[in-house]
Amino acid sequence: MNPGRLLDGVSAQAIGFAWLRAALAPASVYGQARFSDLVPFDPGEEGVAGERAARIARIAAHLDRAAFDEARDVAGNVPDAGQSIARATMGDTLDDAGFLELQRFFDACIRLDALTAGCADLPRTIGASLRECARALETGRAGRLGFYLDERFDAALASSRAALAQTQAEYDSARGRANAAVAAVLDREISQPEFIVMRDDLHGPLPPGVRVVRETPSYLLCELDSDETVLSALRRRDEAAAAVALAEEAVRERLSAVIRAHAAGLGAAMQAFGEVDVLLTAARFTQQHHCTVPTITREGTLAFEGARFLPLEIELQRERRAFAPIDLHLEDIAVLTGPNMGGKSAALRTCGFIALCAAFGVPVPAQRASLPLFADIAWLGIGSESERDGTLLSSFAREVVGLREMLSRQARPRLVLLDEFARTTTPREGKALLIAVIGRLRALGACGLVATHLGGVAEASAVRHYAVRGLRGIPQKPGAGNLTHALEILAASMDYTLEEVRGDRVREADAIALASLLGIESRVIDAAYDALELE
Amino acid sequence: MRARVGESILRLWSDSGARSLFVVGTGKNVGKTVTMRAIYRACIEAGVTCALTSIGRDGEAVDLGDAAPKPRLWLEPSTVIATARNVLPTSPASELLALTPYHTAAGALAYARVRSSSHYELIGPPSASALRAVVGDLLAFAQNALIDGSVDRIAALAGGDDAIVVSCGAGAAQTVGEAVDDVRALVVRLRTLRFEGGDARAIDGALTPAIVAQLIRERETRAVVVRDPTQIMLSGKAALYAFDQLTIRCRRPLRVIAATVASIGGEQVFDPRALARDVARATGLPTFDVYAAERAA
Repeated sequence: MNPGRLLDGVSAQAIGFAWLRAALAPASVYGQARFSDLVPFDPGEEGVAGERAARIARIAAHLDRAAFDEARDVAGNVPDAGQSIARATMGDTLDDAGFLELQRFFDACIRLDALTAGCADLPRTIGASLRECARALETGRAGRLGFYLDERFDAALASSRAALAQTQAEYDSARGRANAAVAAVLDREISQPEFIVMRDDLHGPLPPGVRVVRETPSYLLCELDSDETVLSALRRRDEAAAAVALAEEAVRERLSAVIRAHAAGLGAAMQAFGEVDVLLTAARFTQQHHCTVPTITREGTLAFEGARFLPLEIELQRERRAFAPIDLHLEDIAVLTGPNMGGKSAALRTCGFIALCAAFGVPVPAQRASLPLFADIAWLGIGSESERDGTLLSSFAREVVGLREMLSRQARPRLVLLDEFARTTTPREGKALLIAVIGRLRALGACGLVATHLGGVAEASAVRHYAVRGLRGIPQKPGAGNLTHALEILAASMDYTLEEVRGDRVREADAIALASLLGIESRVIDAAYDALELE
Repeated sequence: MRARVGESILRLWSDSGARSLFVVGTGKNVGKTVTMRAIYRACIEAGVTCALTSIGRDGEAVDLGDAAPKPRLWLEPSTVIATARNVLPTSPASELLALTPYHTAAGALAYARVRSSSHYELIGPPSASALRAVVGDLLAFAQNALIDGSVDRIAALAGGDDAIVVSCGAGAAQTVGEAVDDVRALVVRLRTLRFEGGDARAIDGALTPAIVAQLIRERETRAVVVRDPTQIMLSGKAALYAFDQLTIRCRRPLRVIAATVASIGGEQVFDPRALARDVARATGLPTFDVYAAERAA
């Protein structure tokens, strides 16, 4: 899954591209190959993107969680049969491990098709080629999951193995008799090819059939010699082993030829497996996060209800907190104001995340959404300063460099997300610059949201103005130093929903109240309120 | 005294209650594989299904490090092995049970069941943690698991419930005295006693020579407690000195059940009975000479 030209690195990081890619990553090697080729749909492909999202949503509705989990398990454990198929195609004779991999792949296909039976939106992995190859290897199934080049493959193999077993038994018997004779004379067990005879224990010559390989003052290191009977048995055993090797290789060649003949069909099965894995992962994501199919239009309007920025929602859930879903309607550029920690950045990220999901034809985390396929999603502002440029530029200069790049891009339609742009310069000039930028973005036909604390920007730009509702009242301070508790109180007191504001009144940022809540000493807080009174 | 070595060790193994047994040597060419083969033969004769693997590489015809001839492993039907896919003999074919996610220099680690007797080479899992997982898997296929170990990879013993046989011999020492000191240091370390309570100084992680030197300087009198003996990174005289000066204990002791000696190996010639006797006295373990088919008196 590659962002292509849709996103630069900073924007990808801001709107959670890496999170989405990890959430949609399939489990199998085949799925991963397919997934790595995924790129965003381009404007003009609205129908295809919408259909893909609808297809994923139908799959999500068709399967239950247990089926998804089992399919994931199957996909996660399927071996990569691609190497074996490629080797067979090039005329190689496969080894038994290769046949085992193929058989496991066939088993996985059969299981996956069974789990998704009746789901017309998923391709079938089993075709005639796979069926034929599975039948050819089935004779080798050993137990539930093993593979063995069984005698049933070939009469010649069976007879050669029987001959080997017979000659091996004859050799073992001859060798055993020779060992036993030596052991009886020496009154000890002979369990190793090399053994020590202590000189103290030797009363007379070594028995026949024992060869000394090393002499020391205290012992003789010996080996057993083989007499003609043993050597003859060994020769017969070796001949039988060679015959088995030939018979086994003949069976392997025959099985490899079957794989070779069906290589194209097996390649298609691997591709289908990958596609199923990718779709199932997206469907599981859809089900898990209650996503819906967006309406993908050719118009430039981004509108949604009950939308969530999933990376943050998951993080909040870990802390037993809830993400407040947001509603928004962006025909072109709109201004967003609100208190600190009121969720302005999260609102911007939600816009980007919804657009990102839609761009890949994936259902979006919202109750309803309507949007175009953006050719460019650009983020500028908080979070982008340190990434844009490693030089000695100031924060503001870095933002300006980012803005220059953003304005120079030609892609249409585009979504721009400005998070407190120009906050590090004087409010008067920052506001002027922001108004000018909004004007230019509108002229370029961009859709976007501009978060700021500066008042009067929306009115001067004649654009829609949204505001975070903000604190419901001034919350009580927790005990000193308890930051976690302070954040919990803040979250409980904050109304994160957005409302469209008529006129251009910018609500207070509640900054002093927040500073107090987060533990700033009271004399500083009091002085701040006094200063506010004097204005 | 005369002994059926494999059978005797199998009995000790069985009495220990452990299902897996590691053969750990003081160095190379000290008879680990010969010991393992004797125990394996005893398992076959007793009708015990056995699974085999190694830490690293074993069973090849010559030592890849010093080109010396190596004892080979002739395995019988029903034996299960964990070895690298690329060293499985092409013929006679084995029953492939599974391919694991662990990779060795010779390809993926495979589980296979021997169907026809043949020589096998064992190339085991690449890490201590992988080996632990593999031993667990092998015990699902066989009654017992036998692992050809390595003195520098004893970390694999951590977290297990294994029996251990230590091997020493002429291949890794210049004199009998040196061989005895080496095996004693190894056994003292592996047989670190269980911490039974009282004043203790717990060591998180490895007990290194530097930490030991510090503790001795501080005249530490409390028990120095490690998780298990594999955390003790001391060998030879340093290990013996540390155990003499400190009360070293562990929370999870290991079970060393026997020692084996190999008086052949390298250029040295050790008297087999003197070596076995001295090792038995130094370690307090039942001590066997696999080559001489004897147990130290």
